[in-house]
Amino acid sequence: MKSFQRISYPYILWMTLMIVAPMLLIVLYAFTTQGNDVTTFRFTLENFARFFQDAVFLDVLKRSLIIAVATTVICVLLGYPIAYVIAQHNPKNQMRLVLMVTLPTWINMLVRTYAWMGILQDDGIINSFFSLVGLGPVKLLHTTFAVILGMVYNFIPFMILQIHTSLTKMDQSLLEAAEDLGANRVESFLRVTLPLSLPGVISGITLVFLPAVSSFFIPKLLGGGQYVLIGNVIETQFLTSGDWNFGSAISLIMAVIIILSMYLAKKVDRSPESLGGGSKG
Amino acid sequence: MKKLIQFKHIVKEFDGKLVLKGIDLDIYENEFVTLLGPSGCGKTTLLRILGGFLTPSEGQVIFDGEDIKNLPPYKREVNTVFQKYALFPHMNVYQNIAFGLKIKKEPKDIIEQKVMRMLKLVNLEDYAERNVTELSGGQQQRIAIARALVNEPSVLLLDEPLGALDLKLRKEMQRELKKIQQEVGITFIYVTHDQEEALTMSDKIVVMKDGEIQQVGTPTDIYNEPVNRYVANFIGESNIVDGMMLGDKEVVFEDKKFDCVDVGFEPRQKVDVVIRPEDLDIVPREEGKLKGVVKSVVFKGVHYEMMVETRKGTSITVKMKVSEDRPVFNEAANEKISANDFYLDVEDVAELDEATIVARADAQAWNPDTDEFVSIKEIVYSIEPKIGKYPVTFTTKAGTSITVNMIVKEQNRVTSREYNEEIYAMNFFKKADEIHESMALETDLKTWANASAWSLEDESEVEITSVQYDFDPETVTTGLYDVTFATEGYEYKVVSTDLYHEGDEVGLTFAPEDIHIMEKEG
Amino acid sequence: MKQKNGLWGKILLVLTAIFFYAPIVYIMIFSFNGSRSLTKLNGFSLQWYEKMFSDRTMMQAIFYTIAIALLATVISTVVGTLTAIGLSRSKKILRNVVEQVNNLPVMNPEIVTGIGLLMFFSAIGIKKGFGTMLLAHVMFCIPYVILSVMPKLRSLDPNLADAAMDLGATPLQALWKIIVPQITPGILSGALIAFTMSFDDFVISYFVTGNGVNNISILVYTMSKRVNPSINALSTLVIAMITLVLIMINIIPMIQEKRKKRKDETVL
Repeated sequence: MKSFQRISYPYILWMTLMIVAPMLLIVLYAFTTQGNDVTTFRFTLENFARFFQDAVFLDVLKRSLIIAVATTVICVLLGYPIAYVIAQHNPKNQMRLVLMVTLPTWINMLVRTYAWMGILQDDGIINSFFSLVGLGPVKLLHTTFAVILGMVYNFIPFMILQIHTSLTKMDQSLLEAAEDLGANRVESFLRVTLPLSLPGVISGITLVFLPAVSSFFIPKLLGGGQYVLIGNVIETQFLTSGDWNFGSAISLIMAVIIILSMYLAKKVDRSPESLGGGSKG
Repeated sequence: MKKLIQFKHIVKEFDGKLVLKGIDLDIYENEFVTLLGPSGCGKTTLLRILGGFLTPSEGQVIFDGEDIKNLPPYKREVNTVFQKYALFPHMNVYQNIAFGLKIKKEPKDIIEQKVMRMLKLVNLEDYAERNVTELSGGQQQRIAIARALVNEPSVLLLDEPLGALDLKLRKEMQRELKKIQQEVGITFIYVTHDQEEALTMSDKIVVMKDGEIQQVGTPTDIYNEPVNRYVANFIGESNIVDGMMLGDKEVVFEDKKFDCVDVGFEPRQKVDVVIRPEDLDIVPREEGKLKGVVKSVVFKGVHYEMMVETRKGTSITVKMKVSEDRPVFNEAANEKISANDFYLDVEDVAELDEATIVARADAQAWNPDTDEFVSIKEIVYSIEPKIGKYPVTFTTKAGTSITVNMIVKEQNRVTSREYNEEIYAMNFFKKADEIHESMALETDLKTWANASAWSLEDESEVEITSVQYDFDPETVTTGLYDVTFATEGYEYKVVSTDLYHEGDEVGLTFAPEDIHIMEKEG
Repeated sequence: MKQKNGLWGKILLVLTAIFFYAPIVYIMIFSFNGSRSLTKLNGFSLQWYEKMFSDRTMMQAIFYTIAIALLATVISTVVGTLTAIGLSRSKKILRNVVEQVNNLPVMNPEIVTGIGLLMFFSAIGIKKGFGTMLLAHVMFCIPYVILSVMPKLRSLDPNLADAAMDLGATPLQALWKIIVPQITPGILSGALIAFTMSFDDFVISYFVTGNGVNNISILVYTMSKRVNPSINALSTLVIAMITLVLIMINIIPMIQEKRKKRKDETVL
């Protein structure tokens, strides 16, 4: 009915204003110079040049990427076994275990990250434990370790969920078939389960890498005020220095990196079908 | 009877595609009208236009003297029974039926009375409190009808309402629908692709195709006097043969002249001749207007359905030489090799290559102990595109070799001027084992003989429907056998309560009024 | 995959549970601490809760958080549901375009959405504060509502609305009496997601707020530089509220189910 079609029109207008226009503004600002005045724009690549010619910013970019990649790798290495163990349970228990994983994500990320500050402090619970067994206080808070820990803590549920879904969606008879054809447990895991769950791993990777590379409050809370990642640079440009053009350019660079990595992930996602037989929906 | 609905030149376009191409149709009061046609013919679109769910691109929908083209569905005096019923799953049976009355804010006691009366009409008095999702397909169907009828529409639209039911239930519902229609005395417009449904229930059938009306008439009219080959084919089963008019009331088909009752054709005009299976009678051969052989008999409960072939198709007979398998044994290398002679067409010699030779000669070498194949390393032959015998020698690496003959022959084909088609096949050699092991012998014989048939008009392939042979595939031994391939000839479907047997020679007869002549399409 | 779970599997799950819940439990315990310390427990006290309730900025942040979450939930649920219904009847091209654009805020890093909105509000000259925060929250909540309502609409018999109108219902009645009851589960889960997304949001709120309007997340972020155990109390409150919402969401359907079952049993 046409009358129903029309009720989506207001949102289409809203969407154009609130979603599309801001994105266009970022692009516009990134390619223009100073002056927070809409009318006096001048096209330039200066903002990008400034970023790529400054060793400090390149270092920040490098560090952000390393931390994001490290977080993602750790999430895969920890998340896969957890998801796999969950998938071994009966459906009812699986539901409970999945709930156990998802429940914390409903709680404010900032609150959960803040909680780690107390745990990781020099006289916090972990260091108290260390001193009990005679180890001196180890500096935990305000280290790269703390930042990565915070990111893994916040983002690993996405990884576990994605892998778990791909494991449960898998046709169980494939495993039986593999074993019937003479594969042992390890072989059938490596040759059937792993390739077929790869799509889940890939989408988990994108779900972890994306917030990890852009996060700015985790490094601030757990890395300390001096710990700067690319998200923090953007924050500073917008809320302290007021250089929106430069900030937009950095956001755009980050967006390009993310789009590229997603594209890459999609490509990897496609190749296992040829070796795994492919059961992707 | 009063004219209730008039479709005036209705055109409907979806994304540049014409779904209805100018429909003109009148519907009267108290009629049971069926829109009949295959899926995609536009019948449902026409119904939805009347229901108000679609607006026509062009034309008028006159209802009771007013153009209702732009009236929304909730203001129309028609109700619809939807495909798959569209019952509201969150309401029970009572609430579903009461929905329309509640919307109209009728008093509660009146609603209850009316709903109960409807439940009685559809024989589901005890189901008021049931959840609609728990009901069977047939029960859901009745609820959908009750829900529509309770609003006392002047027209009820039914969109393939029996499509989801099984055969037995469908028959039952057909009778019941007709009964309900007669009881409530309103117009039913019924959409279906099932010609039998249309014939049993309707007062009027509208046959549609590709967005156009082909014919409008009573079931009897449509059945007996279809206006064209399409309608004849769609309504009931028909024998349709090519014919030519000689003048009024005279038609020629199968090279014979017959009387008919049709007039108004040009002399020598090519026509389709339609004869219903039940209009054909089987009589002794000498009394038949057409003579033929019973090809198949299927028992249909009350009657038999038989195919009578009055003329054979184009056929060709080839020789099959069954030879013994005598492989050459090379003891020194412990290898066996085998191959057989084969025939070749003169025309094919030019395109001959080694792979074809190996395949046609069925050449293979193997180790008799392990049964593993040994590859053939060398093929020596010389051949000319002339009729004759040419030896070919296959040799393995170890020197095991066998020589067979390639026999080049004139191409073997039969041309039929009557059917304007050609059939081709060639002689072939086979080993008895291969015939014993064949799972689909007729298909294999076609492949072995390379049999094919095609039309001389447009080179299109013609199916070879008959393969006959004079050997018993179970016990066949070495020797020379005949294999005959044939295309389909003229066959008539005949319905009769008398049983004849396959191979019976019979005659067919019919009355002049049973021959229906229609113009060729296109 | 019905093999027995090894000991290692159990250990892994226990460690996972500890990893996920230890910080949450930790913060709740320390919110009742008798001293300022975030590391040593010195007896039980409710002083940090008293401090929190007497702290104007904290109470304001709680108020803004809840007010914006409720408003954003209501607005985005209504608009998102109507839009989804409209889209389900629209041409495929339009539907695809809207779905793609909707994916932007879901897939984009929040910081990008945040700065985009910041620049947008400044470009059209809206003063940052409660209004901009609410607009931003509605903006990122609607896509989630659409995403959870769409699949329910897709599995609906397309003839249901037509059937209602055929029986005399106006389009509005058909919508309210037939379509909405059918897709209620999707609407509810969309509303739940919208509420928690709004309630928990930090990054986008951080960029679009101003004029002293803070939500709980922003407050935690700005106050966390100094030791302030009131944050523990505030965090515990947040955890308690979200847990309450989740329990309500999970329990209400169960009660309804039971009631329905009992009713069915009495009928039979």
